[in-house]
Amino acid sequence: MATSATFGAAGRVWAIALNTFREATRNRVLYVLVLFAVGLMGFSIILGELSLHEDVRVIKDIGLAGISIVGLAIALFLGVNLLSKELDRKTVFFVIPKPLHRHEFLLGKYVGMAVTLTVLVVMMAVTLAGVLATQGASHDVALLRAESLVLLELWLVLAVAMLFSSFSSPYLSAMFTAALWVVGRNSTELRAFATGKLADTPLGTVLSSAAAVLPDFHVFFVSGGTLGETPVSIHGGFIGWGYVGEAALYAGAYGAVCLVIATVLFARRDLT
Amino acid sequence: MRVLEVDALRKTFVRGLLRRKTEALRGISFHVERGEIFGFLGPNGAGKTTTIKILMGLIFPTAGRARLLGADIGDREAKQRLGYLPENPYFYDYLTATELLDMVGRLHGMDAGARRRRAGALIEEVGLGHAAKRPLRAFSKGMLQRAGLAQALMGDPELVVLDEPMSGLDPIGRKEVRDIILRLRERGKTVFFSTHILSDATLLCDRVAILVGGELRDTGPLGSLLDPRIDAVEVLWTGDDAVADALAVEVGDHSRTSEGRIAKMPDLQAANRVVARVVEGGGCIVHVIPHRESLEDLFVHEARAAGSPRGGEG
Repeated sequence: MATSATFGAAGRVWAIALNTFREATRNRVLYVLVLFAVGLMGFSIILGELSLHEDVRVIKDIGLAGISIVGLAIALFLGVNLLSKELDRKTVFFVIPKPLHRHEFLLGKYVGMAVTLTVLVVMMAVTLAGVLATQGASHDVALLRAESLVLLELWLVLAVAMLFSSFSSPYLSAMFTAALWVVGRNSTELRAFATGKLADTPLGTVLSSAAAVLPDFHVFFVSGGTLGETPVSIHGGFIGWGYVGEAALYAGAYGAVCLVIATVLFARRDLT
Repeated sequence: MRVLEVDALRKTFVRGLLRRKTEALRGISFHVERGEIFGFLGPNGAGKTTTIKILMGLIFPTAGRARLLGADIGDREAKQRLGYLPENPYFYDYLTATELLDMVGRLHGMDAGARRRRAGALIEEVGLGHAAKRPLRAFSKGMLQRAGLAQALMGDPELVVLDEPMSGLDPIGRKEVRDIILRLRERGKTVFFSTHILSDATLLCDRVAILVGGELRDTGPLGSLLDPRIDAVEVLWTGDDAVADALAVEVGDHSRTSEGRIAKMPDLQAANRVVARVVEGGGCIVHVIPHRESLEDLFVHEARAAGSPRGGEG
């Protein structure tokens, strides 16, 4: 039988990823969520009309928030169902005995979902660009950087959700991941508490340890806040590509640790 | 050469908050030789599926060891030479049969041309040519079983492991699966299959293992497991009541069927005497059938001897 000599682990991971992507694209729930984001962007035009010459600003803010929120919902939905769906439908019983390692299966699932998220975020970003064009505004590079940060955040949320789903139920995985996301988005406040009023107290130590260990999702949503003392906004004075690169390194490193732990847990799990 | 070796395999499931233990396998050992059809028999709950899940790397044994194609369980190179059909197969139901086989071909490292050719040939072989482009969710149970067989054979495996392959199939479907299994043996493949349908095992297997309550009760060729002695001889004949009256002392009461009267005799000599009297009295012999111990008799005997305790999953 003809086999490609170059076909290796990457090919097997891609086979699983392709199937995962195919499954996601045939899931109507995702389309409903994307339609919700598109509706939100359409609604932002009406809100923009109500504002005083700030219509583009409103569209950008609501559009970006829509991509972030809907993307988060999709990442949670995909990530926490990663293994439970395979076990519930018993499809895992036919895949695992195929010539691939368990970690390749898990990695393939992650890659497939990350590709799905990327396609959906791109679709929503293109829609936002279209909405902006109707108002005579352009989808500038600052918005592109902000959307890139959102995508990085979603890839990390997916990895965290996958870690939890490797040992707990979808419901608990969703709860844990959502809780970590809320805490991570407020990591600045957490650090401020730990080093401010609660400094040198046991609770302060706990909070600063938590801030150091838990994923810092605040890194990925900086518009409207400050970096150091500098205000950051997609409407002027936004971060550069260097910052996006650093955020990508952070997401990659943290996500890789999550995937490695998930792999270790999954490797010894009885699939009954 | 041994393609499958199981040595003192044990599996205990621990379930629930109270950590209740269920002993599904209690130290079973057997082996399968290259090129044979091996039947893994047992009633529901005997531990057949648990054993197969261990062999397929889905669950881990509590103790003992198993080797597939000369390698430890989970070895990727060995899995490359293995085909597996799970019990009541569940596949990605949004895929068509062609897409399913394409995915399996990718996992086996086949290039696009090889995947297309092999998938097309297998879909025809299992009789799914008319439904190749239909999503699996629209398949009947029998069609899913065929798709399952096709995906198990996609990598041209040396060893094919089938968990209850005839389950849910109608008589025609069962015959087709039997024919596929026999063709696999003709091509030099080894087939290991579990079943509780004894007629299938009788028709197909070179050797069998009988598992009851997580323990292996018997292993070997069917001929050596079954008692060759004749238990009884059935004589079916037609003729006058006078002949029946003449046989009354020797036969006792005949049972009647639409085809005639049945005399059940303890051995061939007694059956010969009945045949002679029927012929002398002007009657006709329809058939004479000697009854030996069947696989079913053996199976029931072993299950009863073990008190038919229930093991794990199946």
